[in-house]
Amino acid sequence: MADYFFELLTEEIPAWMHDTAAATLRERLSALSADVTVSTTPRRIVFLLKNLPLREEDREQEVKGPPKKSPEAALQGFLKKQNATTEDIIPSSDEYIRIRKKITGRDTAEILSVRIPEIVESIRWPKMMRWGNGEHTYIRPIHSVISLFDGEHLPIAIFGTESGNITVGHRTLAPKSFPVKSYNDYVTGLELACVVVDPQRRREVMAGRARALANEVGGTPSVDASIWSQWQYLTEYPGVVRAEFRSEYLALPEEVLVTVMRVHQKQLPIRDRNERLTNSFLAVLDNEGDPDGNAAYGNSFVTNARFADAQFFYETDRRRKLEERLEQLSHLQFQEKLGNYLDKTKRVERIARGILDDPDIATAARLCKTDLVTEMVKEFTDLQGHIGGIYAREEGLPENVWQAIYDHYQPVSLEDTLPRNIAGAVVSLADRIDTLVGFFSIGAKPTGSKDPFGLRRAAQGVVQILLNRDKREVKTTVSRLIALGEEAYGVSVSADLQPFFAERVATILEQSAWGFAYDEIRAVMEAQWADIPLTDVVDRIAALNAVRDAPDFLSVLDSAKRIQNITEGHGDPQVDPARLEHPTEVRLNELADTVASQVNELIAQRQYRQALESFAAMAPELEAFFKDVMVMVENAAIQYNRKSLLVKVAWIIRPIADVTTIVVDRRDYRA
Amino acid sequence: MMRARMARVTFQSLILKLQSFWAERGCIIETPMDLEVGAGTMHPATFLRVLGPEPWNVGYVQPSRRPADGRYGDNPFRLGKHYQFQVILKPSPLDVQELYLDSLRALGLDLTRHDIRFEEDNWESPTLGAWGVGWQILLDGMEITQFTYFQQAGGIDLAPISAEITYGLERLTMFLAREASVFDIHWTPGVSYGAVRKQDEYEFSKYYFEMADIDVHWKLLDIYEGEARRCLDAKLVLPAYDWTLKCSHVFNTLDARGAVSVTERVGVIKRVRDLALRCASQFLEARKELGFPLLQQASNG
Repeated sequence: MADYFFELLTEEIPAWMHDTAAATLRERLSALSADVTVSTTPRRIVFLLKNLPLREEDREQEVKGPPKKSPEAALQGFLKKQNATTEDIIPSSDEYIRIRKKITGRDTAEILSVRIPEIVESIRWPKMMRWGNGEHTYIRPIHSVISLFDGEHLPIAIFGTESGNITVGHRTLAPKSFPVKSYNDYVTGLELACVVVDPQRRREVMAGRARALANEVGGTPSVDASIWSQWQYLTEYPGVVRAEFRSEYLALPEEVLVTVMRVHQKQLPIRDRNERLTNSFLAVLDNEGDPDGNAAYGNSFVTNARFADAQFFYETDRRRKLEERLEQLSHLQFQEKLGNYLDKTKRVERIARGILDDPDIATAARLCKTDLVTEMVKEFTDLQGHIGGIYAREEGLPENVWQAIYDHYQPVSLEDTLPRNIAGAVVSLADRIDTLVGFFSIGAKPTGSKDPFGLRRAAQGVVQILLNRDKREVKTTVSRLIALGEEAYGVSVSADLQPFFAERVATILEQSAWGFAYDEIRAVMEAQWADIPLTDVVDRIAALNAVRDAPDFLSVLDSAKRIQNITEGHGDPQVDPARLEHPTEVRLNELADTVASQVNELIAQRQYRQALESFAAMAPELEAFFKDVMVMVENAAIQYNRKSLLVKVAWIIRPIADVTTIVVDRRDYRA
Repeated sequence: MMRARMARVTFQSLILKLQSFWAERGCIIETPMDLEVGAGTMHPATFLRVLGPEPWNVGYVQPSRRPADGRYGDNPFRLGKHYQFQVILKPSPLDVQELYLDSLRALGLDLTRHDIRFEEDNWESPTLGAWGVGWQILLDGMEITQFTYFQQAGGIDLAPISAEITYGLERLTMFLAREASVFDIHWTPGVSYGAVRKQDEYEFSKYYFEMADIDVHWKLLDIYEGEARRCLDAKLVLPAYDWTLKCSHVFNTLDARGAVSVTERVGVIKRVRDLALRCASQFLEARKELGFPLLQQASNG
């Protein structure tokens, strides 16, 4: 048994690409070894394959040859080609000659020298480049390769760069090159040369230092996983520095401060014991410490410069009210064929009023896009909505209004929170519906994996809001929302847009914590799902989910399927009582009347489970019917009447669900 | 101690050191493009020379005009015109990052006592039909240099690949001299950057934001574009490229003046881009007809 160790020295690979690349490598290398370790630093890709045999095991393989009746020459040719003799021929039951061939296992070194370059060179990076003479394409130029097997150099080449056993230390702290004998030797050697190979360890070192530095000023580092996953790949020698910005900038909106630090500077704010932002922050350092305070100075310098800009924008912006910015929106294009943002604003306001006519909602809808023409949002685009909300708050607009503006881009994902009040929920719905109806009306609906305008996410947000049932619940339906959008544009898109929503609803419900099965969701959505609140759709599915395994219900499902088969093409539920002959069918008809009125009443009261149970209670009568009564009789009038009776029965439950699509596992069905 | 030593860093000492550093490494030291450009990349010594197989190593200062960035000389960090030191190494040598770090050492930086990082930052210019892959280089958390491996220019896939190093001279001086305002750095001892440039910043901000005649500039755009096309039709690519750069600057002026709507913007960018693309392919053609002279010289040693 032996180990294989590999290092690719390159130039700084973008931090966000490391995890995926390492996972891909791990997966592909697992074909070579059961014990794979992959580590990366900004400019190194390192792996160790442990416990490899020195040689593959020998094995035997059967090879089919020419037909037995072929001329001798054909057999000889075959044997020669296979490097075999007549002694290798084995008995076979068919008409072909077969041989058993011994395959000598290859040396692992031989396998590795082919497979390692293949695996490493074939990684598809999200953004590739060429360098030098431009003959190769990879994430960054390649500098050197180490390839060691069983303590010896195993020569390979990656894009023409021949391997060796030499690496280099940290770029500025220990740039000397040195030879390496083994993986352990490598890790230790690099540690002395200011490089920590294991990314997890770099992260832990930095996390510890961050806590200590924050603690020195009586605070804690903000919780921020995305910063950590970047920092660990921005350093070979993990370090953190604390710096300060001028405290006057604390008067700027917190969202601006945090965005500048996190997104633009990749810095971590420090909060005090009351969770308030302080003017201290943390920055990553590719060095153990900052002996002369240079990094503290530099980070303060840039952050102050950024905040000075932000302050300039903030002061400029506040000279004009949001209301006065509406006119400017007419210069900002929403979409070439769908007009500018003033057009959009007018539609959004109209749709929002249609959902819920309320003066605060109308104001929020009218102002929700005005921050797009503020200097602050031009500079910090990811703060759209938030900036409008903050400015509205400072203008003294009611809480309902500013919060609605602030939140109206939410939810941006399935995990995101919803707008915090109903006004925000309504504006968010109106904005999304406007976008969806608009883009569908110009034929720009998503296809396959392509969704450049984020329409799936927009629809998903609508569904998330409509599923909510706390005090922010918006009482409307998908078909009503689409109709409002259609009115605003004067177009008709529901034939495309409603099925698009159906897919989103089904997907979200299937992934939800409720644990609904696909067939339950489909059964309920076969009914008029878009015309009722989505919360009702959920209740109906939950009811179906609760009763589906009850024996009566299973029996009734079975009957429903039989009814569907028998009454194919028959759409008349009108029963002529005079033509009912058999007492069983008379009883079933009377029962159907009773159950139908019960079910309708229960649906009206939203007692879906009871409705389904009431329907299921017909099971014995239905079973009796199928036992006692023949439907396909010769007398056409009688046959027609019996079919009508069955249709009448089946349609009782149709307002809730199309139960014929429920999948029944026969083994569960009672004997 | 540190402070005192760093305080002697001046704007021009930086330029002189960078020039001699790159001259010693075989670069031609060019002079700035003598027209208004938004970046050193637009200098023909970059945009055109990165095309084709000829080797090319050059360094030069480029005053870069970005009308929309002007702040009337009020903002200590923002300028409507700033100076870049631009280096092109073609083909990109494998030790280009080391060369760059050596240039910082030549400026007097002890890199073991600073934090240097290369963070992903790719570059794309729709107007030039150009893009590249690279980093922003952070010194103690502050961006001081853009580093780009050009992949395409004028819509043409490049081979060999050029490495472009663009130093932000004011930023770098401010940082090394520990000055909080760009106007306080010293151009040469005793003469501040502000004394040399502040009037310029004020007047051009005033001009670009308030005074520039919009109608005149739209007309200029048509005239310059027409002249560029005439030159291209006559196979005079370098004059054509001059007129293209003038179009680009007129567009930037109109933009700063707030005179370009979203729809117009797309249209104008396309007009300039079409010119740039034609310039690129004609330049390549012209060099080919000349037999790629620099290739010959390189092989003759």
